[in-house]
Amino acid sequence: MVNFTVEEIRGLMDNPINIRNMSVIAHVDHGKSTLTDSLVQRAGIISAKNAGNARFTDTRADEQERGVTIKSTAISLYGKLGDDEDLKDIPVKTVKNDFLVNLIDSPGHVDFSSEVTAALRVTDGALVVVDTVEGVCVQTETVLRQALSERIKPVVIINKVDRALLELQVSKEDLYQNFSRVIESVNVVIATYFDKVLGDVQVGPEKGTIAFGSGLHGWAFTVRQFATKYAKKFGVDKNKMMDRLWGDNFFNPKTKKWVKVGGDGMERAFNQFCLDPIFRIFDCVMNFKKDQIPTLLEKLEIKLVGEEKDLEGKALLKVVMRKFLPAADALMEMMILHLPSPATAQKYRMETLYEGPPDDESAIGIRDCDPKGPLMLYVSKMVPTSDKGRFYAFGRVFSGTARSGLKVRIQGPNYTPGKKEDLFVKSIQRTILMMGRYTEPIEDVPAGNILGLVGVDQFLLKSGTLTTSETAHNLKVMRFSVSPVVRRSVEVKNANDLPKLVEGLKRLSKSDPCVLTYISESGEHVVAGAGELHLEICLKDLEEDHAGVPLRISDPVVQYRESVGGESRITALSKSPNKHNRLYVIATPLAEEVSKDIESGKIGPRDDFKARARILADDHGWDVTDARKIWCFGPDTNGANLLVDQTKAVQYLNEIKDSVVSGFQWATKEGPVAEEPMRSVRFNIMDVTLHADAIHRGGGQLIPTARRVLYAATLLADPGLLEPVFLVEIQVPEQAMGGIYGVLTRRRGHVFEEMQRPGTPLFNIKAYLPVNESFGFNADLRSNTGGQAFPQSVFDHWQILPGGSPLDKTTKPGMVTEDMRRRKGLKPEVPGYENYYDKL
Amino acid sequence: MEMETSAPVLSTPAEHIFEDPTPAVAVTEVRLSDEQLYLQYEVKRTVSEIRQGRWKRIALQFPDDMLVDAPRVFERLREDLKTERRRVRQLKPPAQAEDVSESLKDVDLDDERAIAMQSGPEEDSEDIEERLCILADTSYGACCVDEIAAEHVDADVVVHYGRSCLSPTARLPVIYVFTSKPLDIDAAITSFTQTYPAKHEKVCLMADIPYHHHLPTLASRLLAEGYTNLFQTSIIHDPSSLLPNRTLPPDVHQDTSENLKEYAVFHVSTPPTSLLLILSSRVRSIHILPTSHSNPTTLEASTASLLRRRYALLTQLSTVPIFGILINTLSVSNYLSALTYCQKLIRNAGKKYYVFVVGKVNAAKVANFSEIGGWVVIGCWESSLIESKEFWRPVITPFELEVALHGDEERVWGYEWVGDFGALLGRDGKEGTSGVEGEGEMVGQAGDGKGNWDDQPSDDEPPEFDLRTGRYVSHSRPMGRPKKAVAPNSSPDTPNGVSSSSSPAASSALIQRNTKSDVATINGTLSPAAEFLRSKRTWQGLGSDHQEIAYERDEQGEIRGAGMEEGRSGVARGYAVGGGEVRR
Repeated sequence: MVNFTVEEIRGLMDNPINIRNMSVIAHVDHGKSTLTDSLVQRAGIISAKNAGNARFTDTRADEQERGVTIKSTAISLYGKLGDDEDLKDIPVKTVKNDFLVNLIDSPGHVDFSSEVTAALRVTDGALVVVDTVEGVCVQTETVLRQALSERIKPVVIINKVDRALLELQVSKEDLYQNFSRVIESVNVVIATYFDKVLGDVQVGPEKGTIAFGSGLHGWAFTVRQFATKYAKKFGVDKNKMMDRLWGDNFFNPKTKKWVKVGGDGMERAFNQFCLDPIFRIFDCVMNFKKDQIPTLLEKLEIKLVGEEKDLEGKALLKVVMRKFLPAADALMEMMILHLPSPATAQKYRMETLYEGPPDDESAIGIRDCDPKGPLMLYVSKMVPTSDKGRFYAFGRVFSGTARSGLKVRIQGPNYTPGKKEDLFVKSIQRTILMMGRYTEPIEDVPAGNILGLVGVDQFLLKSGTLTTSETAHNLKVMRFSVSPVVRRSVEVKNANDLPKLVEGLKRLSKSDPCVLTYISESGEHVVAGAGELHLEICLKDLEEDHAGVPLRISDPVVQYRESVGGESRITALSKSPNKHNRLYVIATPLAEEVSKDIESGKIGPRDDFKARARILADDHGWDVTDARKIWCFGPDTNGANLLVDQTKAVQYLNEIKDSVVSGFQWATKEGPVAEEPMRSVRFNIMDVTLHADAIHRGGGQLIPTARRVLYAATLLADPGLLEPVFLVEIQVPEQAMGGIYGVLTRRRGHVFEEMQRPGTPLFNIKAYLPVNESFGFNADLRSNTGGQAFPQSVFDHWQILPGGSPLDKTTKPGMVTEDMRRRKGLKPEVPGYENYYDKL
Repeated sequence: MEMETSAPVLSTPAEHIFEDPTPAVAVTEVRLSDEQLYLQYEVKRTVSEIRQGRWKRIALQFPDDMLVDAPRVFERLREDLKTERRRVRQLKPPAQAEDVSESLKDVDLDDERAIAMQSGPEEDSEDIEERLCILADTSYGACCVDEIAAEHVDADVVVHYGRSCLSPTARLPVIYVFTSKPLDIDAAITSFTQTYPAKHEKVCLMADIPYHHHLPTLASRLLAEGYTNLFQTSIIHDPSSLLPNRTLPPDVHQDTSENLKEYAVFHVSTPPTSLLLILSSRVRSIHILPTSHSNPTTLEASTASLLRRRYALLTQLSTVPIFGILINTLSVSNYLSALTYCQKLIRNAGKKYYVFVVGKVNAAKVANFSEIGGWVVIGCWESSLIESKEFWRPVITPFELEVALHGDEERVWGYEWVGDFGALLGRDGKEGTSGVEGEGEMVGQAGDGKGNWDDQPSDDEPPEFDLRTGRYVSHSRPMGRPKKAVAPNSSPDTPNGVSSSSSPAASSALIQRNTKSDVATINGTLSPAAEFLRSKRTWQGLGSDHQEIAYERDEQGEIRGAGMEEGRSGVARGYAVGGGEVRR
């Protein structure tokens, strides 16, 4: 029974005020997909009896098998408020009581966070799911932070309340305390990432931005729903009632007065009015008090039909609760009332979304969510289709209208206005609606909506901007909270299959926002992912689906970075091959904060150099003159190494800049120690002497020289290797904690925070663990804690590989270096600086 | 820093600049005795071959490390030729004398690089006197015959000393004198027996050219040891042989390498890398007996990592828009057809090439052209493989170019490595265009899915996946891909009125690109290099930075900076700064 049609939805699309784009985000296993199912059930795509265990949005077989979401999935739903009067509660004036809800279910496992980022980009609101028992976990915090930094408004559902009732048998007051603790920790996170423009987005039951429920049983409620019921009954204002139904409010039945202090056997209003009916149903049904059930049902106006009457136990509970408090109603109401429409959200999101000036036509089109403006569409990810090798481009129209046949400019992530790089002109083949496992063709899609595109997949690797305006800048490239730091190399078992592997690697790279596939310097095909699980899934896809040929897969390895520990002992000098030109360079470490800012995009090569210099001077204590003379970033023109010109009055310097920059890109891509990329090094060009004749200072003389001098400067500056480090958060009961410490110590990890979760015997442990030592960590941990510890690892930072200099073969870094050099087919010794340093 | 009075810092006295930095060629061996010299340089054979060929102008080409012996070889040859002539003359009646002045005039015209010396005073003889000259500083590799330099001295024949790649020459006859080096036969036998314990093992005995004369001894000693399936190779002038420049075992045919797979190769002295790569796919195993150590132990050659590194290099080049073709030979026969072949490959892939003739390739020379994304060397089969990390852009061989420009859908690696482009040219007819067809396939196969994916035309080539970095690269085919029939229709009423390009041309012709696509052109021809200059370089020549000169200003808007002062003047070997003080 489909209760909406494509035409109906298309009609709704024209009215941005009646659209809600939202993602469902949470920690792994807090019940996103299950909850989403109950919403899908409401929209009628799957039958009611499957809701709760169908996991409609888990479209892949392995998602169903593992019970973990891997890819984010979008569906469009049709929603309606129960009462037209409720329209008044929407902050923006809304006339029609017809809503289009575009919902994206996202994965909870930290390895797939990039999927969450891609989902958040195209939505304006987020439904944060929190487990009643487990509370706010590391991934809850991560995704919430991401949402807020994208200026996405959160609402919260506290899920799995049934577990608290059935398994833990808590009392009403305990449950209330538990709820308020969860809410408080959510609000702490929200407060930490407060954004002035987004405003106060603290959540609270009395505001109606928190729901409580059980995705599995398909029921949920908000305080507002109860308030509406009781408002009628008591004849008081609904909003007043809402305030009273949460917090320290008590109703004295004798005096019929509301008081702030309990006692006298008075129950908290929330417990009395909201929890009590639920507790009673649970009590009756689960304790088989068959005689009481009919009266209770009658009182609560629940009617059972047909076979439902014969049910008992949990099955009956499910039916009753679902009829009493349908989850979809509560959630729909909460989302429609409290999440912003695109028209509202794009006003304040425009400046964080758009790279260009805030007053050009594209910016104004986005700000006004104008379907008649120039098309601005962001493709956030690629979705594989049943046609092998072809993909739907999944994205959101921020301005204008996307329709089949429209000729658009496809701007890749490296596009800069006015240049041809990464720019393609192509017509959109078809526009489609994405609904879980199915797609529906649709004529056109106006601003504010989420859609799929056919026929642009060849032009975009993972994401990009589509526009009709020739002056449009890019919509901002997404920054992921995870990095592909774990690598495995693959090779075909049969050399004839190589083309298939190559094709598979291309497809794999497209199908995942985070995975990286490439051929290493030494000729190996490398797949890099965020963590072991991520890689495992990617490689499985590669072998079974994208490439379809048998593969040999190496053990996981990490990629190191080369850096320096101090300033160059002496100024490095290199002469050009013809000896007529000299470069003098000093390498110094770049402050970690600067590197992080570069990596997070806060400081970038495309920024205005004055603004950038300001940030560097104000936040990082740079000399302003130096900060203005940054020649370039590297490697790849955007990495966290800087080349700074500190020369004074050198003639022809302009002329050789390109050559020196080329040499810098080259050197930072393959450092001197083990040909790994460099990170966090600042190179100061101290002086340059050049031949007066242009021909003797050409690229041939300077590119190799620049590389040599940078190598010499690095080797003179106490070089070191950086290794990636995971932040591991482990949830564990007290008695199993000893095991954790043992495992961590053995793997060079260390705990830096240990906190008891209030009201539970569970501890939250945060630790740093080198990625290199993390392989097999989960299994190790499980066996040492009797399966009671649940770790989540996410890349956090780079740290110097301890143990000495990589130039000394007897130290650990030295051995790692030698091993790496051998693997790459280089001679095992690191060449000394004398190889690159020329004497005066 | 040493002088405090004059210009500070970081400068060296100007005269240091011209000190030659290149280390002198290490002369390791002690001078040979006259007798050794005579044998080592095979003077006798040379003389008799010269006499036989009746060549009168003879160029002697020495590699750098043998140049020390060159004058003595020269003298000895001259003497012997003279003696020989005299001997012959005594047998024959005297004839007309040669005009001395004419031959002297020729000497003046000689190339300055060739040290030409006229041999002895003219005597009245019927036999014209042979003129010898030493060619120094070979233009390309020492392994190749330098025909151009030889032609400068108008030579009839070249005597090539030292190890050689034996690439066929186009113009001149060549006498090869391989020279020989000593080998500890006993040690070789010991390590051979250690390497191949089974006596019936099929083994090819190979040696680097200077050691080749030891093979018969080695082989007979080994047969005496009881080895039954030895094959002793001998030198032939055929780099395209399955064993380059060597004869094949009798049960192996040139066309099929099947039987050769059963053979192991025992190679005396370290072979050039290209030979290793060539052999790696053709024989069962390669063992190398190094000759540089006093106590040699056989090493199993491992080419897998070498091949993988080459694979990384060439995949990096598959998306490069501009290639440079380096001509590193002017003598290897059919180098011109190899050039045409490479040009065709690159053109068919829609990429641009520029052709350079370069003597000895080094990093500084090729890095002068930063717009070039990768280089192809056309040279002899040994020297065109350049394995060095010092090059700004990768340098590959024509064979690797072919593999790189094959579509990703077709590329297979690790089966074979071809060094000699003669072999490539042979295959040209069969599969010259397969790379292009492979590329086109993706578009073709897409049609049979459920949706029509590419009905809508696009103005631009889709970007290509750069395997080395894992990113998309746009405009890797600046000259347009020669495509078969693209539907040229596009609705004229598209919003921005851009009409699509059409005109798919014949496969050999360049594609006329849409004029809207604003790639730089020179004289109406697309010029990716000009585009590079325009878009990628910040420095575009004198005066181009005038509008960019911006003064730094302080908060009040006042120009901040140093006062004006007189700069440097003069030429590079010594500038005058301000008042005339010399400074570098």
